[in-house]
Amino acid sequence: MVRRPTIKFGAAVAVCLFVTSSTVAQDAPGSRIRFEDITSKAGINIQHHTRTYHGKNAEVLRMFTAGGAAVAVGDYDNDGYEDLFFTDSDNGKPNHLFHNNHDGTFTDVAQEAGVAGGNDALNIVSDAVWFDYDNDGLPDLLVARFGTPILYHNEGHGKFRDVTAGSGLNKFGNTIAVIAFDYDNDGYLDLLFGNYFQPVNLLDLKEPHVLPNNLDGATNGGGVTLWHNTGAGTFEDVTDKAGLGKVTGWTLAVGHGDFTNNGLQDIYLACDFGTDHVFLNNGDGTFREVTERATGWDTKKGMNVDVADYNNDGWLDIYVTNIYDDYMKECAMLWQNMGDGTFTDVAQEVGVCDTGWGWAAKFSDFDNDGWQDLFLVNGLRSAGPENYLTTLLPMITTPGVDFSDVNSWPDIGNRSWSGYQRKRFFHNLGDATFREIGADTGVNNDKDGRGIGIIDIDNDGRLDLVQTNADQSPIVYRNVSQNVGNWIEIKLIGTKSNRDGIGARVELQAGGLKQIRELDGGNGYASQSTRRIHFGIGSANKIDHLQIRWPSGRVDQVEVPINRVSYVQEGLGLTR
Amino acid sequence: MKRFLLLSLLALVWAMCTLSAASPAADAEFRQAMAALQLNDFATGLHHLELAVAADPDNLRYASEYRQAIIRHKEFDRSIDFFAKQLADHPASANLHLNYGFAYVDKIPVTGSITQVILANTALGEFSKTVDLQPSWIAYYTRGASYLFWPRIFNKASLGVADLEKALALQQNGQKRSYYVRAYVALGDGYCKMEEMDKAWAAWQQGLRQFPDNQQLKDRLALHGDELVKLIENNFDPNKRVDTDLREIWSDGQR
Repeated sequence: MVRRPTIKFGAAVAVCLFVTSSTVAQDAPGSRIRFEDITSKAGINIQHHTRTYHGKNAEVLRMFTAGGAAVAVGDYDNDGYEDLFFTDSDNGKPNHLFHNNHDGTFTDVAQEAGVAGGNDALNIVSDAVWFDYDNDGLPDLLVARFGTPILYHNEGHGKFRDVTAGSGLNKFGNTIAVIAFDYDNDGYLDLLFGNYFQPVNLLDLKEPHVLPNNLDGATNGGGVTLWHNTGAGTFEDVTDKAGLGKVTGWTLAVGHGDFTNNGLQDIYLACDFGTDHVFLNNGDGTFREVTERATGWDTKKGMNVDVADYNNDGWLDIYVTNIYDDYMKECAMLWQNMGDGTFTDVAQEVGVCDTGWGWAAKFSDFDNDGWQDLFLVNGLRSAGPENYLTTLLPMITTPGVDFSDVNSWPDIGNRSWSGYQRKRFFHNLGDATFREIGADTGVNNDKDGRGIGIIDIDNDGRLDLVQTNADQSPIVYRNVSQNVGNWIEIKLIGTKSNRDGIGARVELQAGGLKQIRELDGGNGYASQSTRRIHFGIGSANKIDHLQIRWPSGRVDQVEVPINRVSYVQEGLGLTR
Repeated sequence: MKRFLLLSLLALVWAMCTLSAASPAADAEFRQAMAALQLNDFATGLHHLELAVAADPDNLRYASEYRQAIIRHKEFDRSIDFFAKQLADHPASANLHLNYGFAYVDKIPVTGSITQVILANTALGEFSKTVDLQPSWIAYYTRGASYLFWPRIFNKASLGVADLEKALALQQNGQKRSYYVRAYVALGDGYCKMEEMDKAWAAWQQGLRQFPDNQQLKDRLALHGDELVKLIENNFDPNKRVDTDLREIWSDGQR
């Protein structure tokens, strides 16, 4: 078994080299990243509730399923303003669809739209993703559950129809993560589910051995499920056929991107209680596991996958959160893509290691200087002054204890566990390092964070943040940074490719800096961010070059204006 | 207290005598092992080291060299299994319990964070048995230092300090040994973890008077605040290999 490499001399040299060989965009003078909490002002007056269980092991099961606070950003009514879908998880609690009123406020229209349901006696809502599965131009909605998923077809005029029954999405699973991407580039978006537990019904537990059988190398998790979109409104389970059936990890997050710059979408699976997995796309509908060579195996508690080119070297890197606290030093992993099929963890070296109990983390350029920053949420459970760890330690150190037995675990009661943690905002300094400035930016709240949705609420080019929290209210942060750089935002419209343009690679050159972005379909724990491509270009006042490589393989050179949202159609270019 | 010190001193003297009384058969195995290891023949080297330890289970050097070879060859479970088997035959051997504990410690850096806790706790149990069987300097020092690796939340630093104070008391009597400086360093670290900084500095300063060239003590006394805490915390990072080579002890006039 190969252990993950720490940064090697060669990698360290590479880190230094790219910095000196690329031109750094000029920060606008005096720019400072600041966010304002507008949750209440925006009308987002909701709270998440984790599922309540009943019976002997209720508290333990609740603790192990304390996720489910997700947010998905999407313009469901195509009015040019992005809306928000929030999940809840307790029995009977509604999900929320907040329509953007174009004035900084939102209105919950979930009931009228028909997407509020999903939490019942048999199912627990856990995640959601917008995706246009039938390429009709209207974003549809997939709601993932511990149970069976729900597929809502967007009927237009603000109405949705539950089409799950005829969709083939009828397999029971304890799904905690979902992304939409076109793995076979056939023009239709497929779905990848990350499953935490094996497909056992936690709400009616027949057998107590459902928890991880090893806390550093568990092999009894739910793995993943890959659903192929047939193009006829149905999906088929192709997990085994695609080569993903052997994953038995406790999958918490799944992410996709073209890791090898060959036009095919690869995947990274972040697993709790054991190793993550890297799969490369063979281009024939199958994947091959390359974990051993790419990253090495690990024993950490993978929670998040986000994919971005943090150092502007033209290769997509991967950020994974783990648990880093006083009692457990599992550094987060920033997998720098070395361009040769291997990744090197540079988290410690570049300053993004210390995360607390990490959950979602998302890259974006929040000050439009051409370098992508990183916002991260953390915290498991903020409750009473007693710490659960002191209760847990005797169990963990009992010789021969069976971790998988739900009866082995002590109740958490009102104890805290890695609670009240301050959120991290890592500012990309443009020299291959980050500086943590959460307190300065105003986003260092201490809630029990889970998901992050990046959204441009008011189309002003300054990216805003939505943070979901377990058993707490979400927070909406408006980006009020002053003197930020110039920017472009592009809404992609595929024609031969999937309509959403997910998987499209956009390359930009401006102000002497080359950047790439790739449109993802829901990377990051419990969240989906804007499906617009956003670039900051610093003080540059024009784009020198902009190229889109669509999933179909078509390459378009496009001219777009700066400081506005543009719509670009495959083969046609700028449409508005 | 005086009675405790006397008993401890007697135990230490007994341990020294034991350490210096290797059997010819064991010594022959040991020589073959070292020759094989010099040729990077780990299979033969480990085999003969196991025979040497089995023939002379209380020999600190044999067991220590065995574990160091295991570390180089990354066969951590082999040494754990070996010492467990030896202890079944020699349950009263303090040295075997000590090395059994160290075998778990040696494995810690290559495991996941939860397994590290389990290994550390098992090692601690073995170190306690060592103390019970033979309350020597090395027994108290080892257990005391191992307590300091535990995160603050588990409140084990005070237990570590208590053991290290006993080790310090033992080393006040008899010949001064080079490795005694470790007790001063660790004791100060323990007080630092308990946020009793006056006592921490007192321990380090006392150590520096005894060992004026020791860099670890100088480094600690030169730092304050967060820098000092960072230095101490880095010292107890479970992902870094702890030096469990007892060479300094068995080579300092004892063998």
